[in-house]
Amino acid sequence: MISFEHVAKRYPGGIQALSDVNFSLGRGELAFLTGHSGAGKSTLLRLIALLERPSRGQVVFEGRNVGKLARRHIPYLRRRIGVIFQDHRLLSDKRVFDNVALPLMIAGLSYGEIRRRVRAALDKVGLLDKEKMFPPMLSGGEQQRVGIARAIITKPPLILADEPTGNLDPDMSADLMRYFLQLNELGVTVLIASHDLELIRQLGQRVLVLKGGEMVDDLPARARLAGEADGA
Amino acid sequence: MARSARRSGYESLPGAAGLRAWARRHAFSLLSSLGSLTRQPIASSMTVIVLAVALTLPTALHVTIDNVERIGQGWERLDTLSVFLEPEISSDQAQRMTSRLTAWPEIAAVDPISPEAGLVELSGQLNLGDLGEQITDNPLPWVLEITPESEVVVATLASRLEREAGIDLVIVDLQWLERLDAILAVIQQLISLLAVLFAIGVAFIIANTIRMDIQNRREEIEVMALVGATAAFIRRPFLYSGLWYGLLGGFLAWLFIRIGLIVLSAPVARLSGSYHTDFQLFPPAPEVTALLIVGSGLFGILGSWLVVGQHLRKINP
Repeated sequence: MISFEHVAKRYPGGIQALSDVNFSLGRGELAFLTGHSGAGKSTLLRLIALLERPSRGQVVFEGRNVGKLARRHIPYLRRRIGVIFQDHRLLSDKRVFDNVALPLMIAGLSYGEIRRRVRAALDKVGLLDKEKMFPPMLSGGEQQRVGIARAIITKPPLILADEPTGNLDPDMSADLMRYFLQLNELGVTVLIASHDLELIRQLGQRVLVLKGGEMVDDLPARARLAGEADGA
Repeated sequence: MARSARRSGYESLPGAAGLRAWARRHAFSLLSSLGSLTRQPIASSMTVIVLAVALTLPTALHVTIDNVERIGQGWERLDTLSVFLEPEISSDQAQRMTSRLTAWPEIAAVDPISPEAGLVELSGQLNLGDLGEQITDNPLPWVLEITPESEVVVATLASRLEREAGIDLVIVDLQWLERLDAILAVIQQLISLLAVLFAIGVAFIIANTIRMDIQNRREEIEVMALVGATAAFIRRPFLYSGLWYGLLGGFLAWLFIRIGLIVLSAPVARLSGSYHTDFQLFPPAPEVTALLIVGSGLFGILGSWLVVGQHLRKINP
């Protein structure tokens, strides 16, 4: 699904965000990306969604070298990826319904189809009764769930989440992570950048560790290994 | 575009392609642009008024020149030659000369004015009462008012007449008409230059307004780009906004001019009445009005295109 080959990213001004990153994530996999702030987690995600282009190396998504993608193809790449941000990136002057509907309006779906899908997505994240509200009227956790509804509404094969639990209390964070696990069980590939090490350890999924712009560790999924061990 | 959509697998969304989806996306952009216009009524109307003023100036100049030219055309029909005969020419000789000149192919009509008639006309014009009773010895000669055929070069005719025996003086007051024509041509050229300048102004005023609009909606643009909006989709509402600004500005400019013409019509009627003519102000021709409004709309689109394109390159590296 995704593979990084000797990827480096240097921002204008000389800041080296990533220096030599190699890893791959298969279709239907779920992995956490951890590291201190400034380790390059956000940059790595931004390279996949082509919010930045790599300075060196190859970022391959669904068999295509993303870094070389023509500018006019970028929107179609982004429609294959649902991105969730720590700061939600919701439009505060639009209702919850319209925020979630935005990707479908862009796709030009009929209003009836949009309405059906948005309600289904909001139902899935438990916010069906909040569809007429504006994002600032919701709690941080609810806003994050609106962001998730928007990310999954087009049923993308890949979900990227950048510190999705950053502003949430531990209970909510655990809920949210469980939700990502459910999505993953439905076959969606998920990559979550987080520094909530305690929570990540509990979940026992694959963990990629970034440090100073390099991939220093790649811990396989303990839960699955344990499960296989049990089954054996 | 369709091919790349297919290649990226987006065809899995029903209704994502085709004419109806295209129409829906356009409807979304159109409503969105109207929404942003009405959400800031004061800012929008200020932009429209600035545009209208910028457009009114060259258009008003054009209308003025157009009207002055119409007056000039009326005057050119007055380009008669006044032929003063020698004082000793008698009535009979004058009449014979009249019939001889009438036969010239260059001359359309000859209107002889006797010294007596001339005196009466003069005293009337100068408001001197009955001059004829006070002056026993009329100093005026016979005058032949000659109307040339329309295609005749008046200057050539005048010099030919001057060589005729019995003719003292030929007066052609054409020079001021020629000068007026020359002045009008200069102003006409000036208006063309001004129109170009103001058209650029319109594009930049709209570009600047759209730029501020983009600043306010930066968040929205980025989010739209993030969830896969194409450049065309992001650009479209702003192009519509530019079009609305341009059209409204052009329409308001046209309204300003019509109001100006109505306000001016009474004084112009009084002025023209004092010259015993029934001159009326003409509104701009339909082509000019269409050019004003449509052109302004197009420059609106151009202005927003420039700004949005520049901004989009930052989001899509």
